[in-house]
Amino acid sequence: MSNKCQCVDKPPNGLIVLALIIRGEKSEEALKRRNGTANTMATSVPSLAIPGQRLGSANTYAAGPGTHIQQTNIFASIAGPVILDPAQPNTQSKATLRVTRILSTAAQSSPAAAFAKSKPRYNTLPAVDSIVLARVTRVQKRQAAVSILVVLDETSAPNADLTKAASDNDNIASILTSAANPENHSSTDELRFQAIIRKEDVRAVEKDRVVMEDMFRVGDIVRGCVLSLGDQTSYYLTTARNDLGVVMARSEAGNMMFPVSWKEMRDPVTGAGEQRKVARPY
Amino acid sequence: MNDRRRVNGPPGGTRPPVYASLLQSGTGADTRAQRQRQPTDLRKIFLKTGLIPSASGSSYLEFEPSASLAAARSNPKSLIPPSSALKLACTVHGPKPLPRSAPFSPNLVLTTHVKYAPFAARKRKGHVRDSSERDLGVHLETALRGAIIAERWPKSGLDITVTILEAEDDRWWGDVPDSHDASWGMMNVLAGCISAASAAIADAHIDCLDLVSGGVAALVSDDSTDSPSALPKLMLDTDPAEHRSIVSACVVAYMPARDEITELWLKGDSSKVSTADGDQRSGHEALIDGAVDAARGAHTVLAEAVRESLQKTLGQS
Repeated sequence: MSNKCQCVDKPPNGLIVLALIIRGEKSEEALKRRNGTANTMATSVPSLAIPGQRLGSANTYAAGPGTHIQQTNIFASIAGPVILDPAQPNTQSKATLRVTRILSTAAQSSPAAAFAKSKPRYNTLPAVDSIVLARVTRVQKRQAAVSILVVLDETSAPNADLTKAASDNDNIASILTSAANPENHSSTDELRFQAIIRKEDVRAVEKDRVVMEDMFRVGDIVRGCVLSLGDQTSYYLTTARNDLGVVMARSEAGNMMFPVSWKEMRDPVTGAGEQRKVARPY
Repeated sequence: MNDRRRVNGPPGGTRPPVYASLLQSGTGADTRAQRQRQPTDLRKIFLKTGLIPSASGSSYLEFEPSASLAAARSNPKSLIPPSSALKLACTVHGPKPLPRSAPFSPNLVLTTHVKYAPFAARKRKGHVRDSSERDLGVHLETALRGAIIAERWPKSGLDITVTILEAEDDRWWGDVPDSHDASWGMMNVLAGCISAASAAIADAHIDCLDLVSGGVAALVSDDSTDSPSALPKLMLDTDPAEHRSIVSACVVAYMPARDEITELWLKGDSSKVSTADGDQRSGHEALIDGAVDAARGAHTVLAEAVRESLQKTLGQS
């Protein structure tokens, strides 16, 4: 009584041909046998996981992102490399098992080479407290509407240069330059998550004196933090921190501006200053 | 429904017509497809993920053509192939924001579309989805909804589109329709859709409980001509073109890691079955067990395909 699995042929072009002969096996027996083999391998954690693969016991490990727990066992829920985060010393916590979506192992060694290839883009959803880059699409008296371009990965250190961030997403620099270019403003906003920055969430001090037109302009790239998932249409963002606010903006003359203070940016060509809620440059 | 937006091909068949008398004569008699596999032997599956770059996840699935089709290709006796093999492509778009009109959803909203290409079946399909295609879409959605961890993707939608390039036949093409006929080929198509969609979801890195795979089993009575009292036999992964009469069929969507069924579709009369001595299972129990076995077989291919694409991506970056 066994599943006999014969790999008949496996040519190099990725053709998977499997002939399978099943001799009437009861599913309970299969489950018993599988659990038996799983228990003997409980000490070793696989390096690669596919959804539904058992990774370890929930008594030994804690379940991290990309995994789920079923009957005191941790199973993978996405395909990817398994990472074991060691437990904090001097605490009772267990080591955390997680399956990562990041497939760029070479990104640390040579980011330029990694970005040269078109990597697959895995959408990360904005969650509460995640830092996002968004483009301002409309400025109103009480709020500014933005569309979220990138959810910055929490694994990339905040001090790291943006172009070196090992994010799931494509080259952030190219996203930003294309987004800041007014010629690229197409109807793709429909496919991006929409968000709103309310007047009270723009800055932490003098909230009642905020004039939205002096904080954001349409086309600006804003770094914001997600306050809540919001209503059916939009997320809520805040920029009420020193490191949050406008990171890229064009002047009325159309030139990229550089920040001079927390509330002013300047055009390098004409020398004219414009008011913005500026993010602290790293 | 009339499709007035496109220039449609002529309605009717996609293959050239053949006189019925030719089929009855000596030349056509041996073109009838016969099952060459054992009853528990499955067809080989080709499955590859990540072929459509613009989608966040995609897969392409193909069933091995039957032995009679391979023979007919090497030594053609008729213009019409004796059987067809399933070929389908699946794309996953998302997670993406819900449309403005949609109400707030704390979960992932799953949308499935199954569409036959106009040339997929022997009878031409229109560009507008018909009732059988909508039916397949609903079945596919049920199968996948039980496998996806929807609460990890709030406020977002996932579109799954399956395009069937070649569908299974409902019966041997030379047979006239009779009372036993039902859309048996649709059940094989659904099993293929489930496996392909599961691979595409894994390719899109959407959280799911397990790789859910589809399997088909059927009760067939092939030799009804000599002994009408003979009980139908259980066959796994049936190609309807290879059998004279299918009595009932079952398709399941099955998650082997949890031993759970997310979708079950049973059609026909499963009251009678010829089982081995000592086997006390009733007809539909045997049928469901057989479909689960077939799904478990498909799962090995599915797991291997997902693992292979993962290793390929890791090797590239």
